[in-house]
Amino acid sequence: MGLVPWFDGRDGMYGWIWRHLPGNVWVKALLSLVLVVAVVYVLFQYVFPWAEPLLPFNDVTVDNQ
Amino acid sequence: MAATTDTDHEEQTDAPGGQPAPPPRGRGRIALAVSVFGELLITAGLVTGLFVVYSLWWTNVMADRAADRQGDQVRDDWAEGRGGSGGPGALDTKAGIGFLHVPTMSRGEVLVEKGTSMKVLNDGVAGYYTDPVKAELPMTGKKGNFSLAAHRDGHGAKFHNIDKIEKGDPIVFETKDTWYVYKVYGILPETSKYNVDVLGKVPEESGKEKAGHYITLTTCTPVYTSRYRYVVWGELVRTEKVDGERTVPDELR
Repeated sequence: MGLVPWFDGRDGMYGWIWRHLPGNVWVKALLSLVLVVAVVYVLFQYVFPWAEPLLPFNDVTVDNQ
Repeated sequence: MAATTDTDHEEQTDAPGGQPAPPPRGRGRIALAVSVFGELLITAGLVTGLFVVYSLWWTNVMADRAADRQGDQVRDDWAEGRGGSGGPGALDTKAGIGFLHVPTMSRGEVLVEKGTSMKVLNDGVAGYYTDPVKAELPMTGKKGNFSLAAHRDGHGAKFHNIDKIEKGDPIVFETKDTWYVYKVYGILPETSKYNVDVLGKVPEESGKEKAGHYITLTTCTPVYTSRYRYVVWGELVRTEKVDGERTVPDELR
């Protein structure tokens, strides 16, 4: 139950995830942490290396293209 | 989807009591849309922040690790008598051809490998140009331009302090058998990335008109962007044979 009526059970995606994690608060917190680590891993390992060449930050050579 | 938790929300959803009655439909939907949108914005901010951490820190960690490994490999090969001597055919170009020492730019050494593709440079090494202008390697003994590129930021950031180099500073290239000692004579702090003339056999923009043994370092500028290119030119002053202990030339002491 929220502080404001429109929070009732409708608190966005993070709230949705929190509510669907099993266990008590500590288990939920631990699972959340695992999820965060997993997301950061996927970003660093796959998403950022893929996105980096598409962004204009790291061209160092001179070329005529 | 990213998973972080918002303490305010935790308290609300964890408060004792069953599921509350659903709120009026229209308002609930809008509220939901707004809160999801807000969380997407927060997520985008976090992801952007993480990308900065990735670019400026993590890529350096990975690149330094790769460069150290490949540099050790080259040193091992040299110690065991592979690579180096002989004509260009005898060079194991894939593993790296030597090390660049620029005392005013960085204390360490920079491994030099073939090519300037991101795949090569992202390992925290400097690459010699094969395209659009082929670099003339110093060990061929021919006159020409030994043109190199490396990252300014991230991926080892080997040329990060290129702006610390001044005219007269030494650039030393180390191969298995020889130290090639260059002296910086020209600096171009900003040029277009299309300016391939700076890599020319005789880089005229540096003020030279005759063929000689030149070295050219290129990287991007200003820092943290790729808008322009920074160019440093040097000319070969002398070469020194590598002795048994690999005693470094005076310029590196």
